[in-house]
Amino acid sequence: MSFIELKNVCKKYDKTEKNAVTNFNLAIQEKEFIAFVGPSGCGKSTTLRMIAGFEEISSGELYIDGKKMNETAPMDRGISMVFQNYALYPHMTVEKNISYGLKNMKVPADEIKKKVDWAVQILGLEEYRCRKPKNLSGGQRQRVALGRAIVKDQKVFLMDEPLSNLDAKLRVSMRNEISKLHRELGSTTIYVTHDQVEAMTMADRIVIMKDGVVQQTGEPMELYEHPCNKFVAGFIGSPQMNFYDVQVERNGITFSDGKSIALPDTVTAKLQGYDHVIMGIRGEDIKFDGQNLDVYRETRQQAVIENTEIMGNENNLYFEFGGITSVARVSKYEVSRIGDSVDFVMMPHKMHFFHPQTEEAITVQGRGGL
Amino acid sequence: MMRKKSQSLLGMAFFGPALVLLTIFLFLPMILTLVFSFTDFFALNPGLTHFVGLDNFFQIFQDEEFRRAFLNTLCFVLIIVPLQGLGSLGLALLINKVTHCKKYFKVAFFLPVVMSLAVVSTLWIQIYSPEGILNAILENFGISAQPFINSASQALPSIAVMSAWQGVGYQMIIFLGGLQGINPALYEAADMDHATPWQKFKDITLPELKPLCIFVFITITIGAFRMLVQPMVMTGGGPSHSTYTMVYDIYETGTVNWEIGLASTMAIVFAVFVMILTVIQTIATRDKEEKDVDKKTKKK
Amino acid sequence: MLTKKQKRNNWILVIVLIAASLFFLFPVLWMLANSFKQDAAITRDMNSIRAFVPPALKGNFFDNYVKILTDTSFVRYMLNTLFYAAVLIILGVIVNGLAGYALAKIKFPFRERWLMIIMLLMIVPMETIITIHFLFIAKVGLLNTVIGYVLPMIVNPFNIFLFRQVFVSLPDDVYEAAQLDHCSPIKYFFTMVLPMSKSVVATVSVFTFLNVWNDYLWPSLVFTSGDLLTAQIGLNAITSNDNTTMGQKLAVITMITIPVIIIYSLFSKQIVEGVVSTGSKEG
Repeated sequence: MSFIELKNVCKKYDKTEKNAVTNFNLAIQEKEFIAFVGPSGCGKSTTLRMIAGFEEISSGELYIDGKKMNETAPMDRGISMVFQNYALYPHMTVEKNISYGLKNMKVPADEIKKKVDWAVQILGLEEYRCRKPKNLSGGQRQRVALGRAIVKDQKVFLMDEPLSNLDAKLRVSMRNEISKLHRELGSTTIYVTHDQVEAMTMADRIVIMKDGVVQQTGEPMELYEHPCNKFVAGFIGSPQMNFYDVQVERNGITFSDGKSIALPDTVTAKLQGYDHVIMGIRGEDIKFDGQNLDVYRETRQQAVIENTEIMGNENNLYFEFGGITSVARVSKYEVSRIGDSVDFVMMPHKMHFFHPQTEEAITVQGRGGL
Repeated sequence: MMRKKSQSLLGMAFFGPALVLLTIFLFLPMILTLVFSFTDFFALNPGLTHFVGLDNFFQIFQDEEFRRAFLNTLCFVLIIVPLQGLGSLGLALLINKVTHCKKYFKVAFFLPVVMSLAVVSTLWIQIYSPEGILNAILENFGISAQPFINSASQALPSIAVMSAWQGVGYQMIIFLGGLQGINPALYEAADMDHATPWQKFKDITLPELKPLCIFVFITITIGAFRMLVQPMVMTGGGPSHSTYTMVYDIYETGTVNWEIGLASTMAIVFAVFVMILTVIQTIATRDKEEKDVDKKTKKK
Repeated sequence: MLTKKQKRNNWILVIVLIAASLFFLFPVLWMLANSFKQDAAITRDMNSIRAFVPPALKGNFFDNYVKILTDTSFVRYMLNTLFYAAVLIILGVIVNGLAGYALAKIKFPFRERWLMIIMLLMIVPMETIITIHFLFIAKVGLLNTVIGYVLPMIVNPFNIFLFRQVFVSLPDDVYEAAQLDHCSPIKYFFTMVLPMSKSVVATVSVFTFLNVWNDYLWPSLVFTSGDLLTAQIGLNAITSNDNTTMGQKLAVITMITIPVIIIYSLFSKQIVEGVVSTGSKEG
């Protein structure tokens, strides 16, 4: 049996019609780092809080380490948690904040001291031991919150958007620290975030949620390469995937502005039986370099650059195509300016196709029937 | 479920001590006062208690002393409300304006507030005495000695002036808080529009302070209705009942004469007055806020 | 920047206000100056500016004060009152604070209804029910006892409401973090909620102290014997004694005011906050 298991977990608040979380199923292995990601209000935090025991599970079962936990008090579930707003005890020093739980658990004083020393050292908080939270920066506060969580030796770590209050630069460095901490301590971690970059960079597996329903669960690259629906495809990756409403022709597709692209048979085979589909392609799969233009010369298209985002290492080019403003991601060596007319190709094997109504990915041949 | 039940238990454990005390010392007394007001309950002979219906209410309004006490209370209200209300507003406006010694002024005018009514009353017995300091000062201005609290005509106004003196600093602080809450950009904008100081006062300060004014004036009115300690310490309600107030009558009827039934009736009449005032205060101050909200939502 | 004319007007205003404040405070100044004088000197000085000037600092300067402190039980009354205030502050913060916390953070049946009732109770004038309190305390034989005096004063709807308003904005995640740290709700209240809300605890404590120190009606009903009197009732007993000279009376009222002045100067921030909050309370 897995270490943490959620079976058909639902959350329904009083006085509301819809479920906040519907039939959440997930098995988490020991020492795994799982990220729940999704837009705000998707139920990811609610699920985490049900695992922690701060929200009641309306129906379904939660097992931690083989024991059913639905009715267990939060403190007896063997978890520790890092909160979005740190939730430090404002009138206690760093040291007291970290040791408070151990004291309440009647851990012997010398052992508390050893653990606090270790946590303070590992998190680089030595100088701040006697400060109160209000005299710490955001990053330091977050370290104290981490320290408070790690000293208790719990098997499960829950983190609720722990980095969302930090500035961009600090977020990157804390991301690495948390990953490092996870590798060193090896505790099972569930990490809630709305930032897909955090999820992609830190997690072993990602759970994407929307409107209380799990959309897809999988390793980061799996989600990136094989999104199961349009929502996942659009949520993961930056800049966002381009989506076109296209008409399916016998040997290709036609965009809403009348432009057509011929596609190889292996691709068109998938689209058999469909009139319309949604075609999605990532910015980096739209190519401007000579080699690709040469290989796919029959499907070469033209557009005028309308806007550019210069990032330094790579650039985003915006242009009107297929009825929408499309974005392509190119390397810094392919310089284009606003107003330039450029040639490009879309890599046919990198195209994703989605059912026009259900928005589910079309992967198997001829499943449609419109 | 389990969780809800434990929350309920916890809530009652936390709220329980207060609830027990509230029941014994607020709910029960309130109910008893209401019940007793319809009886002739006499605490020294509780066995002879009868239900008398509304008799008590007719009786107290025919009772010379209660009528006197009621009129005295109204009279006191009429003197002290403009005195203390306008006084505190005026002081606040001046102190808000002044650039030096602001702290000293705040302390000076607030000082009597922290002295108790009993202390202030005891002090002012000396101030108001026929050979006292106030008469000595008046003599220097060529005004002959006044009897103050020793005469039926001057006693109530004298007590009112003293009470206003004691309380004016409290409302002054409230007004100062209100004045500091006015957005200074409003005055800067008015300066750009060439507004005179009077126009700024009339068109910015007063409208901004209006809800606070209503609040303060009604607070003073309620406080004045509850007046008791000053005449108790200074005059014993005299001379010839000229400083006898409603609460004084309730107190004497109930705890000195033990006529709990009658005292309860007076207490109900008194409470109705005070609670009507409080409700007006709540509605008047809340009304403004809701109108503001309405305006804002309409703009959107 | 102020113009020249505005500067001049400002100085005129300062001078006018200083004069006004001195005139306003003349009873207090007179009290202070004359509390050090013998009655003959008080009468003699009455018609001159010396009425506001204390006497020379000679051997008998503190005579009035010494006489009050040694010949009367005034010290005892003051200590009584301090004790009552301490008891009422501790019990009041616990009882009203717990209730305020329950109304703010614990979901128990009819919570919203209870909150409404507490707010309604705030408008009931105490004078209405003080007769019944007196009757009740007399009936259960608690007249002239500390318990009889303290018991009806512990619970205070206004303080419950004040606590509730502050506690309601405490972050929930701190409570959750404390739960994971094996902290029981009651321990959380005492070791977290109260220390995190020092300001409102101070405000409630200060106002409780001022209320106990300055209250007149209730202690005058409960206490009739000499040993347990509060300072205010003791003041009345001392000043209505014919043997007390005027200078001594002024010394008593000066002394009774000193603790209040000390409290005021220590906690003026809380007092002003409390006063202003009554003016800006919403609904």
